Amino acid sequence: MKRPLYLLPLLALVGLRLAAQPSFEGPVPSTVPEIDEDRRRAAYVRRVDEILGWAAAGGKATTDDPAKLDLAMIAAKIVRGEDLPGCSQRVIELMREPGTGPFWMFPTVCIAYLGRDRLSPEALASIRTAWKTTRQQRGDTENHFVMYYASLYLMAELYPDESAETWYSGRSSAENFAEASAFLIKWIDTNTTVGQGEFNTSNYIGEYAIPLSFLANWSKDPAMRQRASMMLDWLFAELATSSLNGVLRGPHSRTDEGAVIERWQAMTSFFSWLLFGNTPPTAGYSGWGLYFAPLAKSYHLPEVTYRIATDRRGDFIQRDRARVRRLWRYSDELSPPVYKTNYLRHDYGVGSTTGGLIDPIQSHVWDVTWAESDPRGKHPTMFSLHPHSSSRAMQSSFTAYPEPMIKGVTFEGKPSYDSPDKLMGSSPFEQVFQDLDTVIALYAIAPGERFPHINGFFSKDLINVTEDDSGWIFAQGGRAYLAYRPLASYHWIPYLHYKSGWAKQRLNLGGRVLTSPHLNNGTIVQAAGVGEFTDFAAFQRAIRALPLAFKLDPLPAVEMTTLRGNKISFTFGTVPQVNGRAVDYRAWKLFEGPHLNAEVGGRKLTITHGRLERVLDFNTLSVTNRVK
Amino acid sequence: MQTLKLKLFFAAWLAALVGHAPLGAAAPKHDLYLSVLLSGQGQIMGGRAPALSGVYRSTDRLKVEHVGFGHIRMFQVIGDPHSADGLYLAALNGVVHSKDRGKTWRILTGWDMTEPKGLVIDPNATDHIYAGLPDGIAVSRDRGATWTRMNDGIRRSYTQTITIDRTQAGRVLAGTELGIYLTEDGARTWRLVQPTTETTYDLRQSPHDPKIFFAATTSSGALWSEDRGRTWRPIAGVPKKHTLHNGVFDPSAARRLVLCGWDAGLLVSEDGGRTWLDRTAGLPNRQIWSVAVDPDQPGRLYASPFQQPVYVSEDFGLTWKPAFFEKATAFNLTFVPRS
Repeated sequence: MKRPLYLLPLLALVGLRLAAQPSFEGPVPSTVPEIDEDRRRAAYVRRVDEILGWAAAGGKATTDDPAKLDLAMIAAKIVRGEDLPGCSQRVIELMREPGTGPFWMFPTVCIAYLGRDRLSPEALASIRTAWKTTRQQRGDTENHFVMYYASLYLMAELYPDESAETWYSGRSSAENFAEASAFLIKWIDTNTTVGQGEFNTSNYIGEYAIPLSFLANWSKDPAMRQRASMMLDWLFAELATSSLNGVLRGPHSRTDEGAVIERWQAMTSFFSWLLFGNTPPTAGYSGWGLYFAPLAKSYHLPEVTYRIATDRRGDFIQRDRARVRRLWRYSDELSPPVYKTNYLRHDYGVGSTTGGLIDPIQSHVWDVTWAESDPRGKHPTMFSLHPHSSSRAMQSSFTAYPEPMIKGVTFEGKPSYDSPDKLMGSSPFEQVFQDLDTVIALYAIAPGERFPHINGFFSKDLINVTEDDSGWIFAQGGRAYLAYRPLASYHWIPYLHYKSGWAKQRLNLGGRVLTSPHLNNGTIVQAAGVGEFTDFAAFQRAIRALPLAFKLDPLPAVEMTTLRGNKISFTFGTVPQVNGRAVDYRAWKLFEGPHLNAEVGGRKLTITHGRLERVLDFNTLSVTNRVK
Repeated sequence: MQTLKLKLFFAAWLAALVGHAPLGAAAPKHDLYLSVLLSGQGQIMGGRAPALSGVYRSTDRLKVEHVGFGHIRMFQVIGDPHSADGLYLAALNGVVHSKDRGKTWRILTGWDMTEPKGLVIDPNATDHIYAGLPDGIAVSRDRGATWTRMNDGIRRSYTQTITIDRTQAGRVLAGTELGIYLTEDGARTWRLVQPTTETTYDLRQSPHDPKIFFAATTSSGALWSEDRGRTWRPIAGVPKKHTLHNGVFDPSAARRLVLCGWDAGLLVSEDGGRTWLDRTAGLPNRQIWSVAVDPDQPGRLYASPFQQPVYVSEDFGLTWKPAFFEKATAFNLTFVPRS
């Protein structure tokens, strides 16, 4: 229930203007960190100006037809001081047909604030009137609520002391402000104590970063400005620790069919380009990026975060907690914890949650992804999943009636949901354990399930794919060697690519899906760096030599020694053991690793790289930097 | 004056239930409210809609006018016992109130209450409103000004429907994920009176005999109680394979009920639920989302087949004709007394 249809014209427009977007079609940026702070900042400012120039020029290209100006273009023009009378006129026109819901609210807030002393009184009044006459829909997801309440908060502050009759909600400015403020404070408190529900999203990072940036700049309340600014730091620190060369790695609470395969094709890549400068931006700056740009120069990325994002000289593992999307039904717990692991190395990353239902439609549970020198158009990922399609699962998260729900969701930007060959989504019949760069995914699919098989993704960009007599499938992706072990017989089907979550057409770009039609099933993937072996054959010999025993009945179970020498014992439905010790997930912290650390319930995140440390303390709303 | 208004409201309400309304050419004493999704299944949260969904009203049963929020998820409309012009609405944004028949609206609940599906006012304590939420039950004792969660005793608190026993203040039944719960102390405590394996979608009290209640469920079929909801038994002859959405008593005929659901079509019983007649013929599909009996015109029945026009029958389902909209899914069809 996401990304509104009225974004599509913007993206279509974006598509027409790719030639005018320099970084998108230019060479891949260097991944070598820029140590000099001034040069780094100057490069950041240039990128911001590129976005603003591109957006404003997009408007200019159609100045003969000002009706083509949209709110993002108007925002850029306001910032640049261009054609303000034309912008005012166009705002008045656009407000004659206001939208309803958070995706309309935050762009209009952007214009209302940017245009405070630049647009005509009539234009500003037209926005205010629209906020009276058009009743805004709050939505049903975490990001909807954040956008809705950040927008409502700021509009109530912009127009204080106005009566209930002047707002769509029928509540006064003070009442709107109080409600919005209470939500925002609660949301931040939840995230900083037990984690985010929509964690590590491929495409929804903007839905958080943009409202937070508005609040950080425009709220009159210094405490709210500070909270929002700190949450931006928090959000971007998470991006830094879960991306490799600017490309976000799994797992994800929510992603889409395009981003889960073409890893770079995600809004997070836009933010990586903007903040870290280490990957190309996405087409049209992912659309929403245009609303981050107007205030982007006021944001100063902490150096420690920049270093984390760009320094991949050493391996690191983060073990963090997050939350399952609200489970209205079929769960005794409203939002159970998610335990996620990210292991990042110079050439590849391995990430996972422990499986089970997370978001019923858009989750991505685990993958091994590798670095590509140019990520555009590449499919640098390997994973398996149970293609779970279930009305019951969706009822757990939605209040809609059961029967038409599966068909309905395929119309709503999730076209693959009910496809047997789909490659996105979580399943209650999948359990996963990750130890460094080894992943064991076990499946015990209930009889009668709609799709009684598992799918494994084999990219077109793999080389030397070898189905070995040992049962392992060996391959190389970038500078990563990969060994994939299906635990049951399989066959291959072609992979058909969705370019995005909205794509209706599927493209045969190459690649295959390993389909294994067995209820009790499993996958083991072991990754290693090319540099760790003399050649591919040596890697294969090492994998063949690994002690491995498994069975599928009565439940899937694996005992193996990993390439890193750890003895793993994992049976579906039980807690995995490493070297004889059960993994104690309940003891996991909110963040734990070399870069991010936070206690559950602590409201305090420590961001570390080398001797650099930044502490975001929401208990005191303070930020502390130090060099250790 | 206030007491008189309340008495008039509930007299009209009871008249609606028991069928004492004038017939024929006399002006209807109730307005029909339809909470509809008009934009098909492709409608995106917050997106521009090809058609204006939300709440519609028909005062003459011939045409409809849009009332208030144009959103895709409007679940229930009920009247306000304190004002003939007042309406309460269960909507995606929460519980919403209008004091002027839908010209203006005020959201009553806050950020922490979303998507109420069921809404009921206690006729014996008219300041008391009960709302069924995805995560429990909210109660207001001051006409919606403030709300408190009151779920004590309910496991798995997803609540789809809520209804009141009109014979006793504070006696409320709630249809939840795991069954039917009863409170007799105004929601301070709840007890499970009928377990179900999945959600209960509708609960109704007979307008003719307050001891009788009827329930429609996802997979436990239809249920019947003759002791004010304390004990329940399954109704034979009703399909259980798919969700039953609605069960409605005919206010004009004591033993007549109508029931609808997904693939169940539209069923009518003339003998208090003992036997059922399939009255789906003439409707375009068997996925009947909601149904309502017109209190002002005996024999008139409305049905909302999934993604089709809302249909009307003048002979209680023997024949049908399209009445409103081209393509709608009505979450709720309800009649609100005008005075």
